[in-house]
This record gives sequence, C-alpha cells and structure tokens, in this order.
Amino acid sequence: QDLNYDNGKKYTLGSVSVLGNTSFNEQTIVAYSGLRKGKEITVPGEDISNAIKKLWNSKLFADIEIYIAKVENDVAHLQIRLSDLPILTEVKITGVKKGKVEGIINENKLKKGTKVTENLITTTKNFLVKKYKKTGFYNTKVNINTIEVKDSLEKARVKMVVAIDKGEKVKIKDINFEGNTALSDKMLRKAMKGTKKIKRIRLLKRSKFIDSAYQADLTNIVTKFAENGYRDARIISDSIVVNDDKTISLNIKVEEGKPYTFGDINFIGNSVYTDQQLNRMLRIKKGDTYNGVLLEKRIADNSKPDADDITNLYQNSGYLFSSINPVEVSADGNVIDMEIRITEGKAAHFNSVSVVGNDKTNDHVVYREIRTRPGQLYSKANVVRTVRELGQLGFFDAQEITPNFNNPNPNEGTIDMEYSVKETGSSQIELQGGYGGGGFIGTLGLSFNNFSIKDIFKKDAYKPIPMGDGQKLALRLQASRFYQTYSFSFSEPWLGGKRPVQFSTSISHTKQFLYDYTTGNADKSKSFNITGITLGLAKRLTVPDDYFTLSQAVSYQIYDLNNYNTGLFTFGDGSAKNLSYTVGLSRNNTRIDPIFPTGGSNFSITAKASIPYSLFDGVDYSDLKDERDAAEVVRDDTTRSTEDRTAAQDRIGEIDQKRYKWLEFYKINFKGDWYTELTKNLVLKPSMEFGYLGAYNNDRGVIPFERFFVGGDGLGSYSLDGREAIALRGYPNQSLSDQDGGSIYNKFSLELRYPITLKASAKIYALGFLEGGASFNSFRDYNPFEIKRSAGLGVRIFMPAFGLLGIDFGHGFDTIQGDTGTKHGWETHFIIGQQF
Amino acid sequence: CSDYQKLLKSESIADKFKAGDSLYQAGKYDKANKLFAQIVPNYKGKPQAEKLMYLYSSSFFKMKDYYVAGYQFERFVSSYPKSEKKEEAAFLSAKSYYMLSPVYTKDQKETRDAIEKMQEFINIYPNSEYVSEANKIVNELDFKLQQKAFAIAKQYRDIAPQYSKDFNAAIKSFDNFIFEFPGSSLREDAFFYKFDAAYQQAMNSVEYKKKARLEQAKEYYDAFRKSYATSKYVEDADKMASELDEELKVYSTKS
Repeated sequence: QDLNYDNGKKYTLGSVSVLGNTSFNEQTIVAYSGLRKGKEITVPGEDISNAIKKLWNSKLFADIEIYIAKVENDVAHLQIRLSDLPILTEVKITGVKKGKVEGIINENKLKKGTKVTENLITTTKNFLVKKYKKTGFYNTKVNINTIEVKDSLEKARVKMVVAIDKGEKVKIKDINFEGNTALSDKMLRKAMKGTKKIKRIRLLKRSKFIDSAYQADLTNIVTKFAENGYRDARIISDSIVVNDDKTISLNIKVEEGKPYTFGDINFIGNSVYTDQQLNRMLRIKKGDTYNGVLLEKRIADNSKPDADDITNLYQNSGYLFSSINPVEVSADGNVIDMEIRITEGKAAHFNSVSVVGNDKTNDHVVYREIRTRPGQLYSKANVVRTVRELGQLGFFDAQEITPNFNNPNPNEGTIDMEYSVKETGSSQIELQGGYGGGGFIGTLGLSFNNFSIKDIFKKDAYKPIPMGDGQKLALRLQASRFYQTYSFSFSEPWLGGKRPVQFSTSISHTKQFLYDYTTGNADKSKSFNITGITLGLAKRLTVPDDYFTLSQAVSYQIYDLNNYNTGLFTFGDGSAKNLSYTVGLSRNNTRIDPIFPTGGSNFSITAKASIPYSLFDGVDYSDLKDERDAAEVVRDDTTRSTEDRTAAQDRIGEIDQKRYKWLEFYKINFKGDWYTELTKNLVLKPSMEFGYLGAYNNDRGVIPFERFFVGGDGLGSYSLDGREAIALRGYPNQSLSDQDGGSIYNKFSLELRYPITLKASAKIYALGFLEGGASFNSFRDYNPFEIKRSAGLGVRIFMPAFGLLGIDFGHGFDTIQGDTGTKHGWETHFIIGQQF
Repeated sequence: CSDYQKLLKSESIADKFKAGDSLYQAGKYDKANKLFAQIVPNYKGKPQAEKLMYLYSSSFFKMKDYYVAGYQFERFVSSYPKSEKKEEAAFLSAKSYYMLSPVYTKDQKETRDAIEKMQEFINIYPNSEYVSEANKIVNELDFKLQQKAFAIAKQYRDIAPQYSKDFNAAIKSFDNFIFEFPGSSLREDAFFYKFDAAYQQAMNSVEYKKKARLEQAKEYYDAFRKSYATSKYVEDADKMASELDEELKVYSTKS
C-alpha cells in the first residue's frame, strides 16, 4: 500500500476496538481518542495522528499504536493497541537524611499514583544530580530502579528505589594561577566570589566546588583584570586536578595582555551641562588606568538608584528621555580615546499625576505628599522620595508602591505619572481580660491610624469605621478593682489642610484606690487621681532641609491625693500640678519601610520645661530646705519621742507639698538612630540616647516626677508620675535605676537586623543586639563609661491588625543589686509596639 | 428545626425552587439566595434555568452584593440572549457596577468601569425604557470624575502659598481639567481658580519672573472674563485684575 500523506484515502470509520494491557474501559478510550463511529477519516492523515496525540497527552498510556484492522467498502475498522503506564505505589530513597526525603518527593512529584514514565525517571535523576552538585557534592551519583508489583490486582504498578550517593563534598585544596604578573594570586583568588580554597578560619564562605559558580568566577577574574587596565586579559586554559585526599586543585592559566590607559575623553551632544560639570561627575582623567567597569559605573550605576552618576544628573533635572553612551573611538597603542555621546532629548514635564489603588484613603491625604506635581520638571530623585514618603504614611504597603510612567511623549516633552498603591490595614484593636494585681483587669484599646473624624456622623462611612483622612485616633480603657485608666488621643497631620502642621491632643485620667486590709477590697475613701491634657503642634521645616520637624507641646497634669498615705509621697493629702512646655527638633529620613528601615537616620532632641516659679514666688527655698533637713534628723532619730517624730514627719509633708505644689524642672532628651544596609537586607542600626532632668533652684531640688527608669523592655506600663521607661535588654524592668528613678541616663546600642519576610500580611525580622546604659542621680555621679552591658537575640513580627510584637532574649554581663554571681545572666522580654 | 432548615437539607430541587421563589417574592432575599445557590447546578440546561438564574442574580442585587450581582447579570445576558429579561438584566448589571462606585475622593476604578458598562448598555439598547435612568447615572458618575480632578487641582492651589510654593501645579491641573471636561459645570470655577493661582503666583513672585507672571495672570483673567462675564466671581476677579494692572504699571513706566 502506498502510504503517502498527500493522497491519503478517505474512509468512513466503522468500529474501533482496543487491544493491549489496559484496565480502562474500551469505550472510554475510544471516546477519548476522538475517533467517533461514522466519522469520515483520511488514512494516512491527521485523524489518526491526532488520536494518538490525544491519548498520549492523557499521560496514562505507553506504546500507543493504531492499525486498520480491515476495510469493507470504504468503511475502515480500526484497532488501538496500547498498554497502561505503571502507577507508582511506593518510593524508597536511600543515601539522604530522613528529613530530606519528603522534600525530594515533593520536588519531583513522586506521589503515590503518579504514572511512571521514562521521562519521569530521567528528569528525577538529572534534577537530583544537579541539586547536589550545586551544593558542592561534585561526585553525586543517582540510580533509579523500578520494581514491578505483582499481585491480584490487574493494574500495572511499580515500586521505585532512588539510590543517591552524594559522595564526599569536594573541597578545593589550592587555586593556582599562571601568567599573572600585574595582579597577585591573592587578589585573583579574592575576585573569585563563589570558589574558595580550604581555609580553617573561613566561616561565611565554605570551600566547595560548584561548576556554575566556578564558570562565573572565571569571568570575574577577567573583569578584575579589566578593572586594572588589562582590557585584553583572557583565560587561556583551566584544569581541575583531582588530588589523592579527595580534594581538587584548580589550575588557571591567564594571559594578561598589556595595560591600557584612558586617552582623551570627549563629551558630545551635551548642552545642558558643560564639559567641566560632566568631568566632575566622571572623575576619570587622561592617563588613568583603563577601567571599563568604573567608567560604566560613573555613567550609570545600576546597583544604586540614587547614585552620583551622569545618568542621574540628567534624570534628576528633567531629562527623562536622555541617553548616554560611551564609545571607544580609537585605541592607539595602549591608550584608549573615549567619546561619551549624549542624547539629551527634550526636558520632560509631568502632565498628569495620579494615584490608583487608594480604596480607603482619601485623595487629599495622598496627593499632598506627592513631590512630583503636574507641570514640574521630571526628576527621578523626587519620584524616589515620593515613593518613600508614601510608604512612611503607614496606610499603604511600602513594598508595593510602584511609580508607573505612562504616555511618554518625547516630542512634546511630557510624561504622565501614576503611583499605584495598595491599602494595608492600619487599625489595631486590643481587648484583654485577666487576673493580676489582686483582681480582674480588663483592657480595651482601639487605635485607628487612618481615621476620618469628619465622617463620624455619616452612617455610610462605617465600613467598619470612618477612614481615609489620615488622622490617628486612639482610645484606651483599663479597669480593675483598684484602678481605672482612661485615655484618648487624636492627631491630624495637616491642620487646616494647607501645610503639614500636625495637631495632636491627648487626654488621660487615672484613678486608683488604696487596698483595704480589713475587707481585701478597694478603699474608696483613699484615692489618688491623675488627670492630664496635652496639646501639641508639629511643623515640617524646609531649612536646613525638609526632613526636619519642629514640634511644640503644652501639657498639664494634676496629681491629686486624698488620704493616700503610702511611701510614694511624704504627704497623703494634697496635690501636685505639672504645667510644662516641650519643644523638640527632629530629623527623620529613614527609608523605605517604616517597619524595617534599610537606610537613613532619625534624630531628635527635645527640651521640656516648667515655669521657673521659684524666681518670683517669693518663697525662700533654702530656708525650707534647712528646715526640712532638720526635721528629717528629728524624724530619723529613734531616741526622740513618737510625738516629736510624727510632728517632724508632718512638717516634712507640709514642706514637700509646698515644694511640689507646682512642679519645677527642665528636662533634655537626645536620641539618634542610624540605619545602614551592610549587604543585601542585612541592616545595622547603631543608636544612642541621653536624658537629663534638672532643677532651676537647687534648694527646691530635683522633682521626684518625670524621672528615668532604665532596664527591661521599656514598656511604660504603670506610669504614675510621668516617668520615662528606658529599654535596656538583658536586665529586669527598671532595675538599673534607683527606686525613685535617675535624673540622668545614657544608652548606646548596636543592632543587626535581618528580614525573614516583608510581605504585607506579616513582616518578620530577626535581630541581634549589643547594648549598654546606666542612669545616675546627679551630674556628679555621671560617667558615660560606667554602663551595664548586655547582648542578645530576638525576633519581631508585624501584622497590620496587631501591630508589632516580639520577643528578645538578652544576656546581662554586669551585676545588678540582688545578683549573686559575677553577671546578671539571661532575661526574656516580650515586646509590644515599637520601642527599639 | 424550622421548615427552612429542613428545606436546606431536602433533596427535592423542585421544592427548593418553589420555596426560594416565594421567599424572594416575600422579600427574604437572603434565604432565597441560599436555596437558589444549592440548585443552580441541577438546573443547568433545563428550561426553568432562565427564571432561576434571573432570580438568583436579582437576589444578589437585592442583598447589595453588587460585585456578584454585576457578574451574575452579565452571565445571564450572555447565557440567554433571547430572554425577555435580557434588557433589564443588562441594565441591572451595569447598575451593579454603578452601586460599587465609591465617593469621589477615593480611587475611581469602579466609577470608570460603571461608565463604560452604562455607555455600552445605552449603545446596545438606545430605545430602552431604562435609557433615561442610564443617562442620569452616566452623568452622575462623570460628575464624580470631574469633582475628583477639580478637588485635586484645588488642593494644589491650597497648599501652594504656605507649603509647596508650586502654583504651576494648580495652573497645570486646572488646564488639564478644562481640557478633559469641556462641558463641566465646574468649568467656571476652574477658570477662576486657575486665574487665582496665577494671580497669587504673580503677586508673590521673585522679581525677575514677576513681569511675565503678571502678564500671564492677566491673560487668564481675560479668558475667564470672556467666557463668564456674569460669574459670581466677577467682582473678586475684577479687583484682582486691577491689582495686577497696578503692579504692571511699574514695568511700563520703567521701559
């Protein structure tokens, strides 16, 4: 029979039968093949091959063949012969640790029920060999066997045995170079990033041989030569020698060629910048060693978006459409003349600027932060900064803000800018109940970081709460039998909407009762109330640069004691009032993610002060001090009568009531954090802080309020007296200060952070820290080197609904009061919110 | 166990359909929807499916689940091209998108989608009884886009004097607005505010750019005056223009 594709014969399809070792229903196979009875087919032709293809694609069969069984009056009867592919019943993997077996099965999809094809076996084998070679097991051998299972079931089934022999990890004993004179072996070995020879002290890069890394390193060697002027350097040969002790040695033969130098460098096509200006950017002179890599970097450094290079010089001044190409015009001898050809194009202006994706946040909150406004000259730096600042708002996922350039028009010199944002949850709810402090404590905390106060009376806005104006609102209620705390705070970042002046206010009230020993209940007749209100304004400055913020606040607190006789104050009835003014200057240019900054720094200096009442209130405090000192002597003198001593104590109370009627003090705080990305993602954060609380009138003395308590997690949990809790891990809370707190403190810390994941749903990073700090009672005792030191590790998890949570394990190297050994040892800290 | 719970567990699809229908008519869309959802697969390809799918889609609409309603109505339209409810379904599909459109101060993706769908409806059914409502909706949605663009431009003007110093952003944005929405009812305001931004820029300008800016502001004033001679802003504008003239005198005497 003449089987020619072009003149196949037409038949009507008669019956189709199925032969072979298959457990599938005959009809199913026929239907699947698409060979319907009565269909007109051409043999030879597409119909048959399509049918085979279809069956083949089902991945259920092997050895598929279709025959014409017989032909009667143009009616063809077909026969399909095939056999089922065996099903995998069991996989056994030898030669690797048990823990890895599951991973290998998943990676290769060796699940029970998989059809075993030749292809599966080959790809699995190749995959495994490659996988282990990649990690340095250069001699890996993989053997895969299948064993047929024979039992009463008719289906073809096999067991698979994967035998992996990783062999020894191949280490590199030596790397030898030949032909290099200009660069030492050591320098060349250093240029090899992924191929290192055995060295006892190397911890980060172990010696192993990976072919792909080795090939890349050969290129690195050539690049290294090129960077030093040897533009023609090449590798003539390289060989791998297997040593007796299962190590290998690499022999690399290079040809250096001659060193080249830069000749004339001419700029062509520049009109916006002069040759001098461009040369200042290029910093390469005639006669310098030829270095193509450096030249490329000075023209366009792709590793840093805000690098000081010629491309950015143009990009930051509107020349979006500019392009810069270095061209070697002549290589006379070993001197290379360069021409840097610049096509400036037309300066681009922004036409429209838009934001998409702000489903919750209102336009005005976003647009006022944008630094690339319509009509402005294009500037890459402003785009980068806008992305950073939108991220810092905290309303959008900082990792997902993307600037899109639309409708570029080089003829008109216009471009449309679109910032695509993704809203992220910015509200936190805290609801807590538990036993502690002698009874039930309930806490309700709500904090909304993107609130809209103008919508609180709009029913439609409750989805679930009015949002989108960028205001912060926080409410916190805490109550137990012995105390109640209410606090409310609100802030609006752009008061009036015309400039970034942040208005903030907070009101708080705390009421606590003394414990009644007879009833075991709160004694309502003995109470201590603290009520406070703070109003603040913070303004972004433009001078010295626009990362600065100047803030001011006025706050007022009343401490009101009713028959509250404890050791806390020398008087049980009375009050103290604290009216103070705070002024602060801060600079924050941390970027990009506020949860995990990778660059920039954050400084703040604040001064808080009361009115110097003692200057004009006409009270002679030195007299009072003398009288108090005398009364103290009487009080502490056990030989005196009880009446005298009680009278003295009462007098001290009276004097103190006079001293603290209006709190008189000033306080200075300084804080600084720096963030540096050491390698990709690994961030170093040094920080230091300092605080000082002083008195205008030494006779009136430093107040027992507003003091510093160093040590522990720094969570201001029980703040009765305006105290500041300063975190210092590795020691218990507030353990590094006196019972009454210090009036001066300093702290230094060094933290290394590494992100585990920075997804919007949860950001997690690990950290290690070294820190030290101490508090002192006066300047006389102050010694910045006498600090309590600690080190430790921790982890932080940020989830939009819960805020920042974390745990730190700190080890204190110095002793504190109550320690018996030579050091304090381990402490565990739970962290809520952002303290460190 | 209530009758409704029994129904949910019942095997009879006919009972469910009947009960769902009567629940729907009684305004219990939530319950009806649950029953419909169970039987939708069973009715696939059957003649009753058309009515079922219509009721099912409507129940989403009534439940204010407009995302699903829009999609289901769209499916209804393509599945039953001969249905007498087709036109209504097409309209309700577009209307569902309209219901999803947020306030103009937020991202307007849904608004633009809704305009597109409504416009499509109007193009396909130009004689429909719903066309007048559809036109009303399109106008309403388009006005939202206008309000948005206008508010953004106006904010550029508001933050310029004390913060950004960038009056050009406002002028450019109002220009874009005037170009993009030629028939807008906010056009008059846009013309005035554009002039106002240029006026403020000129009056507070650095010396070497002042003359050009004064002249530019005057130009914007003329344009405003020409188009809106009877505007509510005329009095203010005239006053501002005379101040500009006053400043300009300095330059004419100098030269």
